[in-house]
Amino acid sequence: MTAVHRSVVYDWLRHDKKFPHVWCPGCGLGILLGSLVRSLAQGGYDKNQVVLVSGIGCSGRLPVYVDVGSVHTTHGRALTFATGIKLAKPELKVIVVMGDGDATAIGGNHLIHAARRNLDLTAIIVNNLTYGMTGGQYSPTTPLGAKATTAPYGHSEPSFDISALTVTAGASFVARSTVYHVTQLDQMLSQAIAKKGFGVVEVLSPCHTNYGRQNRLGSQVEMMKSYKKQAVRMDRWDKLGSAEREGRFAIGVLADHERPTFWETYQGSVDRAQAIRKEG
Amino acid sequence: MIANKATTKRGKPQTKHSFYPAWCKRCGNCVAFCPVGILISDEWGYPRQVDKERCTGCGLCEMLCPDFAITVGYEKPGAVDLAHPAAAKDSPEVKQEKSDAAKAASNISPERLAPVPREEK
Repeated sequence: MTAVHRSVVYDWLRHDKKFPHVWCPGCGLGILLGSLVRSLAQGGYDKNQVVLVSGIGCSGRLPVYVDVGSVHTTHGRALTFATGIKLAKPELKVIVVMGDGDATAIGGNHLIHAARRNLDLTAIIVNNLTYGMTGGQYSPTTPLGAKATTAPYGHSEPSFDISALTVTAGASFVARSTVYHVTQLDQMLSQAIAKKGFGVVEVLSPCHTNYGRQNRLGSQVEMMKSYKKQAVRMDRWDKLGSAEREGRFAIGVLADHERPTFWETYQGSVDRAQAIRKEG
Repeated sequence: MIANKATTKRGKPQTKHSFYPAWCKRCGNCVAFCPVGILISDEWGYPRQVDKERCTGCGLCEMLCPDFAITVGYEKPGAVDLAHPAAAKDSPEVKQEKSDAAKAASNISPERLAPVPREEK
């Protein structure tokens, strides 16, 4: 695999858009934006081949800054728009960028069914454990006991594990990484984009403005350093006991298997229907 | 894998930092995560490269910059070099010099502080 230079980022940005971007200082979405552009350039894609679809939230602003075809859709329905685009034009590379609330709360139904259907999409789920844009309300991924604007005495619900959810729902490729592990994030995104079938990359990103402030986690630097302490590579994660796994999470490729995609199974049913029609 | 050493020229890493002050939000990621600790914040929070020789050219500051405000080993038009005097015009040394000069200029001599005797008519 040939390596791309880091300077490709500037070729893919829309310089006529207002830079610096709208996100808070130190937000991980900017790091993810650079990583996504490097992965797309790594895959050798043309700008006209790629479509970025996003929902609502801080992450919904991400496709605005990349010089590819981009759709900014309604809340939670980014995957449904992406399904339509992919089925209308199968030659396009459709990448969906969603936040954790967008993907698992408002669009949770669409997420599991897109994973079950296994259409050739790539879903990048930016997990900052809260609703960052609307002021730090708890989301389905907020950990038990964490404080939020709508849970000032600690959250009383257990949280979703997005990666485990999508593995169970049947996604072909599931990986987890953080914005601190940026070179690994490049590799995970490259693999997910190249993978035939539904690829999910869960990206942990610090929201120091809302989540970090309410839970006294410090600035984004401290939050990213805590990712370094908590993240465990997949090969080491399997050897850990349940007590050691407390407060930690695995990073790397969590699931990678071949399944027939929706396009293939749909073509199969079309062929069968045409064969029956010819016979009749 | 993104080759961090892709910026090498005849085996020597290109470690020249370029910097977009207009895009920088002063979050401090580059300063906090530089593996050799050669980036410091100036008094306004903007990063500055202090020890150019020790830079390994790994590019981590560039990849961890959310605002694309720093480049290592290549230049973008409009960027200002971190080590350039124009970028460092308000570094602590320059500020000290300026404040010394201002202090010297505003130093009031004891003679001038003494009360001026009223002239007798």
